[in-house]
Amino acid sequence: MELLERLVEAVEDGKDEEAFALAQGAMAVKMDPLEVVDALTKGIREVGDRFERMEVFLPEMMLAARAMQKALEPIAPYLERQSEGREKKGTVVIGTVEGDVHEIGKHIVALLLEVNGFSVYDLGSDVNALDFIKRAQEVKADIIGASALMTTTMPGQQEIIEILRDMGLRERFHVIVGGTPVTQDWAEEIGADSWAENAATAVAILEEAMIEGRGYAGTTL
Amino acid sequence: MPAPPYKMWEILERARTGPFCEDEPFIMERFMPSLKVVIEKYGIEYDAAAPIPGDDDLADALWQAAVEFFLEVGVLCVDTHRIITFDEREVKEALYLTPGEYMVGSGKDARCLKRRQVEDANPPFVIFSPDISCDEELFSPMCIAYLKEPLADGFCAPILEESMGLRIKAKTPTELAGSIEHAMSLRQAAKLVGRPGIFLVAAGTAESDVGQISISHSDWGVRTTDSRLVGGLTELKIDNALLNKAAHYQQFGCFTGSLTGPIYGGYAGRAEGTAILQVAYHLMGLLVHQAHYQMNFPFHIHYTSGTTRELLWVASASHQAVARNSKLISVSNGFLNAGPATEMVLYEAAAHALASTVSGANLWEAAPARNKHKNRATPMEARMAAEVGHACARMNLSREEANELVLKLLAKYEDRIADAPLGSEFQECYDVAKAAPTQEYLDLYARVRDDLAGKGFEFPY
Repeated sequence: MELLERLVEAVEDGKDEEAFALAQGAMAVKMDPLEVVDALTKGIREVGDRFERMEVFLPEMMLAARAMQKALEPIAPYLERQSEGREKKGTVVIGTVEGDVHEIGKHIVALLLEVNGFSVYDLGSDVNALDFIKRAQEVKADIIGASALMTTTMPGQQEIIEILRDMGLRERFHVIVGGTPVTQDWAEEIGADSWAENAATAVAILEEAMIEGRGYAGTTL
Repeated sequence: MPAPPYKMWEILERARTGPFCEDEPFIMERFMPSLKVVIEKYGIEYDAAAPIPGDDDLADALWQAAVEFFLEVGVLCVDTHRIITFDEREVKEALYLTPGEYMVGSGKDARCLKRRQVEDANPPFVIFSPDISCDEELFSPMCIAYLKEPLADGFCAPILEESMGLRIKAKTPTELAGSIEHAMSLRQAAKLVGRPGIFLVAAGTAESDVGQISISHSDWGVRTTDSRLVGGLTELKIDNALLNKAAHYQQFGCFTGSLTGPIYGGYAGRAEGTAILQVAYHLMGLLVHQAHYQMNFPFHIHYTSGTTRELLWVASASHQAVARNSKLISVSNGFLNAGPATEMVLYEAAAHALASTVSGANLWEAAPARNKHKNRATPMEARMAAEVGHACARMNLSREEANELVLKLLAKYEDRIADAPLGSEFQECYDVAKAAPTQEYLDLYARVRDDLAGKGFEFPY
């Protein structure tokens, strides 16, 4: 099996130490780092697709993501030299709103965004509305993602949008909302830019939003 | 009757001084590898042909795996970043001291909530609950409609989103107002219906610890003969707010239910891991929450429901494990894909009740339309589950017989899970003023019930 093929397989199988060693090997034989990263990205997206089809489960996807991070360590120094001007898909600040401690759904969205090429800043759970905005400004984010898992915490999503308006920043960020009780109707009622029913949909919506220029800051790697 | 061992202060101390661990390593390096080890060690295997497994060895292996897993992993307090751990003797002590039954509710409405056995001929204790939020003006009519149900041994009301016209936000004064409105209106509805002492689990509107603490009142609020729930964080985690609730419930003196829903497809992975985790949560409920009963709602990561084939197996296998190896009281909560006034939701309710009851659980029914849509629940879905639960206990069904029946029920809805119909809202299939179902829904219910009777269910009346 080719070295690159073995590396992708190690990442897909979540074997982080093997992935690290193979990536080191790939750089030692002077493989094109961009080509390696593209192959790895394709592989990790396949893992994400398999998760959506329930052919693999969250533990496998998390291990694959970790192996991907590990494989990128020896590649990163070579990549930096070659990737000037190469665009990241976008920068996302994501979290679960104030008063809500549910994390797993948001965590899966963050994970899938990351493996699909977004820069993701995960603020965790029980996040104050203003903290979302401050962090988004700080990292020059394109997107704010707010999750709510309880009907009584959904107003936290509304607060983010209201504060953005009051600060004159509403047009600066694409705001996407999600979570079990959150619906398209609610997203429209509070003036969110988009609503995603699940993690895969969130990735597709935000990829499209960035292409259409609805992510506002724009970032480069 | 004794309560579980009161060791709240010991738990709080361990939450402060236990081994340090951050969230991600807890899941990646402790939880997931340990679960994998016990699945392999005990040879736990899901069998798609037997959503209701009839194998005692599997149930006992699940129990052993769960105890070992719980002792190995412990429970992470995410506020202090400390792991609360237990040793085997403490688990055995807590299990030994568990009485297995409690009188709940008061006066003529008091009932015995007790542990059930696998293939138990005694009917389940049934808590009726819509499990969803509702419009403020529908709160009382919905409560009355549920409280009118003859098979309801207990009741948990819908959740308010607004109070006095204000949108409720957790951890703010609007939540306190909503929680008080919830508790008072619920108490009033119970009195109006003539069941003033019925066992109430309240208040779902009080998401936060302060919300719960604000409604402990023997006159207008939650009484010591009632119950409240304390949950966990995904997975095997808690925080200080949850510990506040647990401590308050003990000190106030009401019954504590430990509310946990392991996610199929989440950190626990497949059906095997989800079932082991569900059993382990019984130990967390007993030892950390000091709970009197465990309320279980394992659910599918994509559908947020518990009636897929795999999730029926999780419910059945985990309840068998608990029932065969402890006196812990289990309550099984149905999360259904379809919405009210559809044939599908009634078949789902029947399947969930059948798999749970024959496996040794009591019932908490039901959350239609994936527990997602406001006003989309009625007592009829819970009625179907309760009637099926009573029927399968009275028939003294074996697990093998129950499995044959559940396969017939799955055949009625399994291929429609991904695109389940949303059905109707409460006010569309109920006469709100009379708090009674429309004739159309009654007719639909009768057709499904007749079909179930034709498939072999012997309803007591």
